[in-house]
Amino acid sequence: MVTHAFRISVLAVAVASTAIAGASTIVVESPALRTGETVPREYTPDGRNLSPPLTWEDLPEGTKELAVVCADFGAGNPPPWVHWILYGIPGNSVGLPAGLPIEPSVPMPAGLEGAIQGHNGWGISLYRGPAPPPGKAHIYHFTVYALDQKLGLGPGLDREELLEAMDGHILGQGEIVPTYERY
Amino acid sequence: MAEQRPKGISRRDLLRTASVAGAAAAVGQTGSAAQEPGTASARAATYEHLTAEEAELLEAIADHLIPADDNGPGALDAGAVHYIDRSLGGAQSGSRDDYHSGLAAFDRYCRVTRNARFVDLEHTDQISALLDMQTGGASGARVGFLGSSAALFSMLRAHVLHGTFGDPYYGGNRDFIGWKLLGYPGPRVSVTTVDQRRLEAGELEAEYQSAYDWDSFVRSEDAEDA
Repeated sequence: MVTHAFRISVLAVAVASTAIAGASTIVVESPALRTGETVPREYTPDGRNLSPPLTWEDLPEGTKELAVVCADFGAGNPPPWVHWILYGIPGNSVGLPAGLPIEPSVPMPAGLEGAIQGHNGWGISLYRGPAPPPGKAHIYHFTVYALDQKLGLGPGLDREELLEAMDGHILGQGEIVPTYERY
Repeated sequence: MAEQRPKGISRRDLLRTASVAGAAAAVGQTGSAAQEPGTASARAATYEHLTAEEAELLEAIADHLIPADDNGPGALDAGAVHYIDRSLGGAQSGSRDDYHSGLAAFDRYCRVTRNARFVDLEHTDQISALLDMQTGGASGARVGFLGSSAALFSMLRAHVLHGTFGDPYYGGNRDFIGWKLLGYPGPRVSVTTVDQRRLEAGELEAEYQSAYDWDSFVRSEDAEDA
């Protein structure tokens, strides 16, 4: 059960941790995820651990490319612990389907050609969902970045390298911030 | 020798990428290309320390870690699971409980999270379940892992590597499959700089035999008895 106060604190952390000054706000939604609510098991290692579906609207004019990062700012040494990185997403795309490939030999779905999954906190290039230690809910930021040009990035980037490459190119961003707890 | 090594994969890459995602990246699609799975009764007759169900599961895991494919044979062809079974009665006897409890927990994990035994899952779900064991995510699913599932994965991976690339004396690396895959020309009493250059050029003639077939090599326990 998520309390109202907890939802407010989730949103506060969301804004404080990743907002870029001057960037416009993208509306990020998902048929599976809601800010402040629990991630369905299907998108965690308590289920099939599929990458969740996302959609976005109100992309800034001039958006040429998109990137997605999922991070837990309450974990990692130093934080955040990165669960997912996806970049090189075509600027005319409208979202991601559930269950992006976890095998390098499997191509991205139609409309996402050229998109690359970068290195997460485990050093592997795919999505792994929330798996916090039991007893405390963690907060997961699924952040979408709109970029002013195609960056032409190669495979294997981690979050820091991606943020560095995107520096000065972020036209807008938005996020969805669900939680997850294990017992 | 060198022509037997998969094109574009170095010896170091092979060892480094013997993980779930790594194996798929290095050698392409994984799968049971080398041999058909045996029946449970056949397995029960073949293995001494693993049950038929454990052996079936371990064979499927080993086949993902070092698969047989167009690049060459894999862990099953090398007899890696037979090596593990044999070692559980000897040098790895202290790991026997870890195998029994760990494999049972992983089997439960697959049933709880994906509604099927590991061996009955679709290929992608098998990889996903193994990734969850490898990254430790499976540990918190409350299915009976005694420690981190990542520790179990590390142990299984290490033993599959031993069984594929170790000295055949210990029951794996059947027909020197692992050494041929790596381009390793076999143990030698000495390796000169000329030998090293020839090895790197793929010109060194292989001498495939167990180290213990050389008079110069002595098992430590034999030496202690002497």
